[in-house]
Amino acid sequence: MDLLLQLVANGLVLGAFYALSALGLTLVFGLMRVVNFAHGELYVIGGLFGWALTVVFGWNYFLALVVVVIALGILGYLIDQVLVARVRGQGEEPTILLTIGLSIFIANTALLIVGTTPVTVASPFASKPLFLGPVVITQARLVLVVICAVLIGAANLLIQKTTLGRAMRATFQDPMAAQLVGIRTPRIYGFTFALGATLAGAAGMLLGSIYVVEASTGGIISLKAFVVVILGGMGSFAGAVAGGLILGLTEALWGGYVSTGYVDAIGFALVIVTLLVRPYGLFSRRAERA
Amino acid sequence: MYLRKSLVLGLLPLLLPALAYAEDTVKIGVIQPLTGSVAYNGTTDVNGIKLALGEINAKGGVLGKKVELVIEDGQCKPANTVNAAEKLTQRDKVVALIGAFCSSATAAVMPVAQSAKVPLVTGVSSAANLTEKGNTWFFRATETDALLAKSFAKILVNQLKLKKVAYIGVNDDFGRGGVEEFEKQMSALGATTVMKEYFEHGTSDYYTLLTKLKASGADGAFVAVETQDGSTFVKQKAELGLSTKVFGVGSWATADFMQLAGPASNGIYAAVPYASTMKTPKNEAFVKAYQDQYKVAPGKYSAAGYNTLNIVVDAIARAQSTDSGKVREALLKTDYEGPNGHFHFDEKGQATGFTVVLVQLENGVPVVVESNTVEK
Repeated sequence: MDLLLQLVANGLVLGAFYALSALGLTLVFGLMRVVNFAHGELYVIGGLFGWALTVVFGWNYFLALVVVVIALGILGYLIDQVLVARVRGQGEEPTILLTIGLSIFIANTALLIVGTTPVTVASPFASKPLFLGPVVITQARLVLVVICAVLIGAANLLIQKTTLGRAMRATFQDPMAAQLVGIRTPRIYGFTFALGATLAGAAGMLLGSIYVVEASTGGIISLKAFVVVILGGMGSFAGAVAGGLILGLTEALWGGYVSTGYVDAIGFALVIVTLLVRPYGLFSRRAERA
Repeated sequence: MYLRKSLVLGLLPLLLPALAYAEDTVKIGVIQPLTGSVAYNGTTDVNGIKLALGEINAKGGVLGKKVELVIEDGQCKPANTVNAAEKLTQRDKVVALIGAFCSSATAAVMPVAQSAKVPLVTGVSSAANLTEKGNTWFFRATETDALLAKSFAKILVNQLKLKKVAYIGVNDDFGRGGVEEFEKQMSALGATTVMKEYFEHGTSDYYTLLTKLKASGADGAFVAVETQDGSTFVKQKAELGLSTKVFGVGSWATADFMQLAGPASNGIYAAVPYASTMKTPKNEAFVKAYQDQYKVAPGKYSAAGYNTLNIVVDAIARAQSTDSGKVREALLKTDYEGPNGHFHFDEKGQATGFTVVLVQLENGVPVVVESNTVEK
């Protein structure tokens, strides 16, 4: 019983981290139809930048977080306006090739600048064990789960309740009509990509304080984020959260009771089964637009 | 027209020394993973090689010529590594090859070395079967999992009183080989296996594995992983408040490992073919030179790189020739003293005679607990 409780706790924490890692990806796909293969590399930039500020320059953690969030937002906006805008409206293949190229470029630039040594972001939260009955967790992880929840909630509010969010949704539903009512759609695309990059970078900096970050981390992050997003349904916020928790719990229980050797494979098995039963993911309400 | 002429004239001085240089050097090919997930370890190996190169050339090189390295990135992928080896042997005409880190990549290069008749020396690849393939051009200047297990199983079982052991390894040749060899040797001495698990390289969350370790009731865990995975593993072990003893094989006794793991690395044991605290005059000189150049203490792979280039150049010097057949003959008669002891090769190309140590990590220092000479 103790084993089960601890595994469930591990799985839920891991799931929250997966959800946060995948949020930016699902947002950019849902609103822009851009499958961003450089998502994991934006996470790496966030982690490495966070490390540079907190460890190399000794900044305060929260100040560094704010700077990382703003910097990634600007970077995301520029990536969209300079690169993605060139292939907008030409179907999905050019954007896929573009983002794959971008991911290789970012990973190798990071390797050139930071080198091959893995790094950890300095965090003010304690990593000593807290014993909650039979379950052990750390303060750092609890705080991170709360920050994840806040970020996910805030992003959701932004999209559902604000004028900018309404403009984003309008642009997604019908770009032509949105333009007719005065929405500057190219800018909206830029903001959406910026928001996606910000969420990826924030995830990188937050999780970079409990895991290690290195130039090649992006691949595995993108992989997990894709599993989460496909499970939950491309473009669905609730789906990303549910997909993250399902993946985290499945990995923890499978690892705990069967074998940790093929934990990464279990995510893909889940995706295949889900796609067989619900081709658009668990939470996607609409059928795919052409 | 004028522009083109001046361009050619301008470039000539740049080209000439390059041409002259190419004829006056002894070229040695190096294939290591410099990008991708093993890049970190491959880079420390190359750092060791470059330190040896500096020392050799400062003493005038070999056969009156400077030694030149041609370094290729094999990424530890067999296909890329083979391409690199073909380029080095066909186009660069290297005298010898050093590489290719991961056992699977080295195995892929071995036939290339054989058909090009170029000696291939590895300081890292530890899969036992490499020296059993009957490839006379292949040499291994390091331990195998079996040799390491034979040296340490007795100490772990008898001196550290391990009765119930959990085996954990990264899911590749290195991790599986280490786990299987140690399990075999330790079981023969009376230890029982209470858990055996593998995980993928690059895993960041070990809570499931650690929860299982706690539930298994093991009094010691044998862990075969490299720096990144190992440091995260011991950090998260401390987060969960686990007191199980940990014994590692892999690059554990390195400055980077202890820095990444922080206080969580205290008390960890590691069985390694090299530690910067080994007390030999050769090692003290090596550590000082390495620290001067890279501002960090050398690890297992730095020593491996340093040894392999020295062994190759020593063979060329004794052969008095860059003819690869003669270099191979000379390699078989190697008697090289490195920071971690003497190296001789047997007829299969496996090195013996060097020292392996069991260290305990204490506040960032790998303290040598026991040392053993690797016998046949």
